[in-house]
Amino acid sequence: MASSFDPETLGGKITQGRNRLLKKLLRNPDIVWRVEKRREAEIVKALEAGEDVSDKGSVILIISGMMHQLNLVGGKIWSLCDGQRSLGDLIEALAVEFEVERDELAEDVEGFVDDLLQRGWLKHG
Amino acid sequence: MADAVTELFSAPLTFNWTLSFRCNFSCSHCYSRDEQAEELPTADILRIIDILAEKQVPFINFGGGEPLIRDDLFEIADYATGKGLNVSMNSNGWLVDTAAANRLRACGFKSVGISIDSAEAALHDDFRNMPGSFDRAVAALDHLRRAGVRTTMSSVISRINYRNFRDLLDLARAHGVAQVYLHNFKCSGRGLKNREDLDLSPEEWKAFYVEALQVKQETTDLLISFDDPVISSLPGYDEKSLVSGSSCGKLSLHMRPNGDITPCGFIPLVVGNILKDDFDTLWYDSPILKKMRNKEASGKCMDCGAFEKCLGGCTARAFAVTGEFNQPDPHCWK
Ligand code: SF4
Repeated sequence: MASSFDPETLGGKITQGRNRLLKKLLRNPDIVWRVEKRREAEIVKALEAGEDVSDKGSVILIISGMMHQLNLVGGKIWSLCDGQRSLGDLIEALAVEFEVERDELAEDVEGFVDDLLQRGWLKHG
Repeated sequence: MADAVTELFSAPLTFNWTLSFRCNFSCSHCYSRDEQAEELPTADILRIIDILAEKQVPFINFGGGEPLIRDDLFEIADYATGKGLNVSMNSNGWLVDTAAANRLRACGFKSVGISIDSAEAALHDDFRNMPGSFDRAVAALDHLRRAGVRTTMSSVISRINYRNFRDLLDLARAHGVAQVYLHNFKCSGRGLKNREDLDLSPEEWKAFYVEALQVKQETTDLLISFDDPVISSLPGYDEKSLVSGSSCGKLSLHMRPNGDITPCGFIPLVVGNILKDDFDTLWYDSPILKKMRNKEASGKCMDCGAFEKCLGGCTARAFAVTGEFNQPDPHCWK
């Protein structure tokens, strides 16, 4: 059994980690979605006024007849997953747009993307 | 009461689109058979699709009338699919043979619904005033399935089928149908004229829904859908829906053959015309739509604990019978 210090296993993890950052992300083409522009504008306004907007949806997804909503950051990530960008690219793009500490941002984006990959809403293109 | 979720939706999710009121049938419960409207040429219809695509309306569902009566249906659907819209339709199935099924598949139909009112051929034929229509409707389901098109079955619940709705589900299973819509009876058009013969009493509606919801819960091989907001008043009803009350005017709109928009196919009030008016202005500012989205309790709804979810039930039915949006749904058993 390989221990957690096994260099091969560790190396494997690192390679996987690098790969993860480089792999292009693509939305599941069966998912119908739309940016709610007017709502998005309201949310941006609220954000600028210092309000907590994390539970306000600006992108809607229709999956098997059910509607799901993504908040401002989630919606941006979703919109960017066009098969041309990787996790690393997403983090870069969001760092420019949102004033958040870089490591914190990377962790949040990665967690969110992982969740969507697990749900089958995103895949590696 | 406005729905927080849809308050600022930029457009409906679905356009129910009557391309033509013409039909090769003459059914007893039809809401639209006695209606007339000028039909648009193909070029105008394609312009409308451009508008819907620009507004990011994701779904269009052709109804009628019989959509296949228009021989440009395939061209229209092809164009809409090319613009990224998800296209479906409801048909009586008469004109769906192998060739038509293959063409429907080729032009990108996501699903096709066939209307079947009874699992008994003679009853269906009689109801639709069309001998042989049951066999052709069932054959249509098979042609479509073989062509690789997802099928649904639509049955308007009325006196002729409410006791035997399980037979309709079995029929659907036998023909590989993915989803069955047990539609509530709308008192519009001929449905209103023939209401006494066809509609159930409120108590019968309640008994039907209690039973049908139980069957739905026990069913795993078939999707069963209802579109009646009054169901939400049943004790223990906890299915999530996107909005409270009627979805018309909030999640969906209806379009007539001339481009006039109404909140739904059963409310004959024109909000505006998609080719002549600015869509955003209609969608956000129409007094009719605003009224539909902001129902106020009146009559027995005022003391009803279910109002928050039910919002007075089906607005179309209340309007057809009383002339007012805010009156309680005439099907309500409370
Ligand atoms: S009384 Fe009104 S709100 Fe209550 S169930 Fe009936 S229609 Fe719905």
